[in-house]
Amino acid sequence: MVDNKQQWKAWLYLSPAIILLLVFTVWPIINTVRMAFLDGYKGLEAAGGATFNFGVQNFVKVVSYNRFLSCLGNTALLCVLTVPISTLLALLIAVCLNSIKALQKPLQTIFFLPYVTNTIAIGMVFAAMFNIVGSFIGTENELISNAGIINNIITFFGGSNVNWINAGSSYTANIVVMVVYIVWNALPFKILILLGGLQSVNKQYYEAAKVDGTSRSRTFWRITVPLLSPMIAYVVITGFIGGFKEYSSIVGIFGSTMGPPNLDRRLNTMVGFIYDSLSSNNQGRASAAALILFGIILVVTLLNLYVSKKRVHY
Amino acid sequence: MKKLLVFILLAATALSLFACGKAKAAPNFTVPEGGYDGSEVTVKFYHTMGSNLSDVLDIYIEEFNKLYPNIHIAYEKIGGYDDVRNQISTELSYRTEPNMAYCYPDHVALYNLTGAVATLDNIIDSTIEVTRADGTKEILGLTEEQKNDFIKGYYEEGMQFGDGLMYTMPFSKSTEVLYYDKTFFEANGLTPPTSWDEMEALCGRIKEIDRDSIPLGYDSEANWFITMCEQYKSPYTSATGEHYLFNNDVNKAFVKRFREWYGKGWVTTQKLYGSYTSGLFTSTNGTRCYMCIGSSAGATHQRPAAGDDGSYPFEVGITSIPQVDQSNKKIISQGPSICIFKKENPQEVIASWLFLKYLITSVEFQAEFSMASGYVPVIKSVSENPTYADFISKADGGKYISALSAKVCLEQADYYYTSPAFNGSSTARDQVGALISKCLAETDVADGDAFINKAFTDAIDECEYQGG
Amino acid sequence: MSENIKVMKQKDISKVTRHAKAGGIAAKVLTYVFLVIMALIVLFPFYWMINSSLKTVDEYRMSTPTFWPQHVMWSNYSEAFRVANLGRLFLNTVIVGVISTVLSLVITVLSAFAFARLQFKGKNVLFAGLLATMMIPGELFTITNYGTVNDLGWMNTYTVLIVPFLVSVFYIYLLRQNFLQIPNELYLAAKVDGTSDIKYLWKVMIPLSLPTIISITILKMMGAWNSYIWPQLVATDDLHKLITNGLRGTAFLDEAGETNYPAQMAAVALVSLPLFLVFVFLRKYIIRGVSRSGIKG
Repeated sequence: MVDNKQQWKAWLYLSPAIILLLVFTVWPIINTVRMAFLDGYKGLEAAGGATFNFGVQNFVKVVSYNRFLSCLGNTALLCVLTVPISTLLALLIAVCLNSIKALQKPLQTIFFLPYVTNTIAIGMVFAAMFNIVGSFIGTENELISNAGIINNIITFFGGSNVNWINAGSSYTANIVVMVVYIVWNALPFKILILLGGLQSVNKQYYEAAKVDGTSRSRTFWRITVPLLSPMIAYVVITGFIGGFKEYSSIVGIFGSTMGPPNLDRRLNTMVGFIYDSLSSNNQGRASAAALILFGIILVVTLLNLYVSKKRVHY
Repeated sequence: MKKLLVFILLAATALSLFACGKAKAAPNFTVPEGGYDGSEVTVKFYHTMGSNLSDVLDIYIEEFNKLYPNIHIAYEKIGGYDDVRNQISTELSYRTEPNMAYCYPDHVALYNLTGAVATLDNIIDSTIEVTRADGTKEILGLTEEQKNDFIKGYYEEGMQFGDGLMYTMPFSKSTEVLYYDKTFFEANGLTPPTSWDEMEALCGRIKEIDRDSIPLGYDSEANWFITMCEQYKSPYTSATGEHYLFNNDVNKAFVKRFREWYGKGWVTTQKLYGSYTSGLFTSTNGTRCYMCIGSSAGATHQRPAAGDDGSYPFEVGITSIPQVDQSNKKIISQGPSICIFKKENPQEVIASWLFLKYLITSVEFQAEFSMASGYVPVIKSVSENPTYADFISKADGGKYISALSAKVCLEQADYYYTSPAFNGSSTARDQVGALISKCLAETDVADGDAFINKAFTDAIDECEYQGG
Repeated sequence: MSENIKVMKQKDISKVTRHAKAGGIAAKVLTYVFLVIMALIVLFPFYWMINSSLKTVDEYRMSTPTFWPQHVMWSNYSEAFRVANLGRLFLNTVIVGVISTVLSLVITVLSAFAFARLQFKGKNVLFAGLLATMMIPGELFTITNYGTVNDLGWMNTYTVLIVPFLVSVFYIYLLRQNFLQIPNELYLAAKVDGTSDIKYLWKVMIPLSLPTIISITILKMMGAWNSYIWPQLVATDDLHKLITNGLRGTAFLDEAGETNYPAQMAAVALVSLPLFLVFVFLRKYIIRGVSRSGIKG
């Protein structure tokens, strides 16, 4: 039933949001599409009066660029690693937090702490922790003048220094550092959502399980996870969307070179690629890359939704 | 699916909407008749000065306003050099750029895509007389005397854009110098190297004396590569025609040579070490460098921390960097220049110029600014300024190390070069820097030559992708 | 299912609980150990930040890092405050944060209400369209938006820092979910009574959704606190700069271009403090807000 009064009232209430969105979101999207389809579009040249032809050159350039695949690969790899790890860890922490009484509040506060920090600033702290200042690391001439705290801990337990992020470090080591940092960063939001979910779950189910003598792990997998499945689906979906936009965490650790010093851009991501194109004033390519990224996110999200439709219990 | 449809629909509408207008390249700036007409003008100036430097600037703005009370200087500090570039390139799309700004040559090349940077040739040559508020007159342009007063390498940087036109004026400059541990050198009977061959021999000697040392630290990989090209007269880039010329055998040969040095533990760079190599140079225990090639403006960081009695653990020596060919000495010129943007009102350009000219030809300002910043003045006559002369005369390898650095810079004033600037020159710079660190540090390859070849090809590809 | 539960409850409860208690203590201990270890990992970077912020520059650069500063340099904090002009930056950030939060709430409440309670043509398409915009990398909006605000003559004003980001699809979504859980009968009853929408919103919907609204408030304030790229671009004069812009940039560079990390760390700590306090005091609202909005599609 749609009555007329409701119609105009609805649009009235929505008007501030719609006007602002048209100006600051929809128009930029249209403009992005326009720039993406103008061959070799550059903002500064356009300002100087140059003209550009309509075409798909920007897309061709982007896709055939030899580092494009590596950007895509890094983005996907980080997503695939961090989303499950952080979700699982957040779930565990949330369940544990929910099951205790003493210290619950201070612990909650601690776990939310990363939420109130600036990604890049704390990234600098992480980088300092994993850093090794030295030369020829891993060669016979190795000289280390300043190993970060993580390596101090490793050597304290009898291990040898690992070159995490410096010149000559391995791709695996780089990815490990990134995963640690991204998971650290992603935990609070996920814990928040899952804990919120847990606290609204009906306690009766658990009591029933207790009575039944169901084992803890069984309770967890058979009761907690299904009951929380809408929240889990939510954090996974938003996790993937966020994961495909990964950028500032890498800047935080590696700086704007997006890779260890001897191999810059090794860990570059899709958004990093867009920024690079913007900073070299290639708005056309940046727009094309953004549209490609949008396409990927759309597909992944639809896929996620499809899976969660089948698996989520409401 | 609906969202997707909406999106595609929007896209299609958007495409049909935009056909482009036409415009032509803008002409150079011509001086309006009568030069400055005394009208009220506000000059917006973007820089990166810290407060200690803008304090100096404030004093001279006040002085300038005694001569030109109607020219108001509104300066803004915009973060670092890259921030200035990003800010202005965004603003240029909407023509809200400032009147003048700190710049590096590649910034200007970028701005030039819009044709917004005023060429200064007509102004410099102008002989129009301008009357100042105190009744005195000056000519709008530069006199021969003033032109010749500039350190040649710095002045010519403004013409590195491939068309011979003057786009920038030097403001405050620095360069690379070789710092060495004078105490150590004297104790072991070593002399600082003047050529790369001597450097090679010296690194070997030092490594024998102190197994745990890295004899040489070189801060800037990119400077190293570009300077070697200049010294060998081997192509690097060109502002016209084919831009990226650095993939050649001479360049591969020196990269290979330095790779061997690195393999022997003789050299490290800022990126490979993970921090400024001055940290290694100033350290008095553990791993240390006995030589360090770094910015002349960072001299105070090359000085070891003083002991409790105020004395320094060792004396620092400063000299010019090694050369390939003593008859073709080349040393890089760094530090900001200033460019002026074209505006609808030509008086804004003239006013900006008058202010800029005042700053760069004023001996007092250049002297004071140099002493405050650690940069070197751009005009030679500063050395006659009593305060500055006094500052330089105190030069030593300890307390007055900045003076020593400035002194070395002034002595080598004839050898400064700048590389060509074009849209993409900063990519080339980044790429050759990356090339050095990549080739040096990758020790785990079977065929070193093939690796170097591949690295060079990749770097060129990257430049062409970014620039194309 | 609830039938089953009742049946089970009839069983011998005491026997089961006694059995569970023995394993329960071990599990409790494990739980605490796990939580405390995770908490330490989470806290470590913060400790490191504070540790670093109290060191001298030389100590910060030392080869073996010290776990506690040899000389505690409280002066780094005053240095940070002075160098980065933090006072003015705090003020600006608070002004922008408060105004944009209030306006944003009004817009969000009205929109969420329309989506949750009112029937109109194209509602679902519009809502789906809004959600789709969340998937686009926002970086690209910047260039175009810069042009827009410039054409509007908003450069270097508070307006430019507030208006472009007033609408958040995410908040509308969150609050709509919350509104949906309030029984529609209440609204229909209120309409029969002749209560106006606004009054109904104010008297019923808002009080019932307070936790969500508080969460949105906090998220929005945090947004103002952490925004970087946009203010950097459109607020270039010192009068309108926001806090993160003061942190980065060159405030902590010395004349040779090297960063005074301890002072920078001190500034980061100072900047994080207000948010941290807000978080500690309003924690329970945040949790309740999120849990109530029940993330069901």
